[in-house]
Amino acid sequence: MNDKRELWIGWWTLVVFYNLYGLLFFVITRTQPPPQPSLEPAEIGSWFADRHYGLLYGYAVVSIVGGATAVMNATLAYSMRRMSVSRAFAYSYLVIYALATLPGMLIMGVVCTVGAMRPDRDPEIMSWLYDFAFLSFEGTMGVFLIGSLVWMAAVLLDENHVFPRWFGYLSLCNALTEVVVAPAWIFKSGAFAWDGAIAWWINMGVFVTYTTAFLTLLRRLIEREDFGTGPLPDLATDPGPGPSGAMKSAG
Amino acid sequence: MSEASRERVEADRFVPGQPDMWAFVLFEALVFTGYFLVYMVRRSQNLDLFLQSQAHLDLRVGVFHTLVLLASSWSLARCVQNSREGSHRAALTNAFLTMLFGGVFLVSKVLEWTAKIDAGFGFTTDEFFSFYYFLTALHFLHLLIGLGVLGIAVHQLRSPARRSQQAIETCATYWHTVDFLWVLIFALLYVMR
Repeated sequence: MNDKRELWIGWWTLVVFYNLYGLLFFVITRTQPPPQPSLEPAEIGSWFADRHYGLLYGYAVVSIVGGATAVMNATLAYSMRRMSVSRAFAYSYLVIYALATLPGMLIMGVVCTVGAMRPDRDPEIMSWLYDFAFLSFEGTMGVFLIGSLVWMAAVLLDENHVFPRWFGYLSLCNALTEVVVAPAWIFKSGAFAWDGAIAWWINMGVFVTYTTAFLTLLRRLIEREDFGTGPLPDLATDPGPGPSGAMKSAG
Repeated sequence: MSEASRERVEADRFVPGQPDMWAFVLFEALVFTGYFLVYMVRRSQNLDLFLQSQAHLDLRVGVFHTLVLLASSWSLARCVQNSREGSHRAALTNAFLTMLFGGVFLVSKVLEWTAKIDAGFGFTTDEFFSFYYFLTALHFLHLLIGLGVLGIAVHQLRSPARRSQQAIETCATYWHTVDFLWVLIFALLYVMR
């Protein structure tokens, strides 16, 4: 339906941006998965040198497309506006995720670019930039924690059945794995360091599951959208509420 | 679909509470399995250190914590049963008893941590203690949330107008999951030699 054109633009922006984000961080700049926090200054210099063009070109693209987060966040907040809950949920979510873009993407990008731009700098300074970049990236954890809890509360309180309740519980699960990142501020090696099995790998596994779930559920929301204010109608072929039906559609 | 018919459909699925909460049980079980696997791998790589540090934990304290949480699960199971039978006053008493057991566990856990820190065993002392504080603190956080969840059950039980057996059973499912996670943490940190 043409009425839904704006919503589909928002949804496709989410899909395209998340894929682009993955490509830029994992393939072009190769800043993810994160390197070890325990590298010596000389090794950090080599790390920047190895990624010289990737960091410069990759973060140039990040700085251009970073603004797409506004459309993405608005699409996510739309789900909360369609719920029966207070508008305060959507507003809180928008503000908090606008904040996340700064440490998680822009500051990290600028700091990595500063390091890559002049690779002949003193290794001690390069080491400082390296820590700053990755700790800035880790600094988004509290934002994702509170953002997930806001979404969880909205889903569980909603009476319009916009999202299934299992997504509310998955949001709690995602929030709890953000807490697990906190030890990355203390450890330089091991499972709890910023590249660790617990602080990064398991956390990323949950985040990818969470992202896949909400992209699928947002698509279903747009398909079901009737632009009313009451309960969102089920699709004709909707297997009904609950994890079994929704999980099938996610798969 | 109306709320009442939605609840009826879900009640026919043979799981207590909302089926959605069982999805949470699955998510959490998977995530904690990940944490436990990492612990087991690191332990097998540094067995001597882990055994040496583990000896500083008091098994009796761990047993006490486990018994307290098993008692809390027992009182909550009674609460659910009372509520099913319509004995809401008894259900409320059992819900408060569960909160009391939960509170005893939390206070006792803080005392255990304090004693360990005073004895010089902190979060960064060695890898075993990092896992010890990480797993017990994460469980502590789950239990704190559980007290809030029990508050919802009490809120439901207090008024006939909003009383929902499904909501009470959903709260109980969360609490039992957290108890179950403790039993695994207890086995891994305190018992396994």
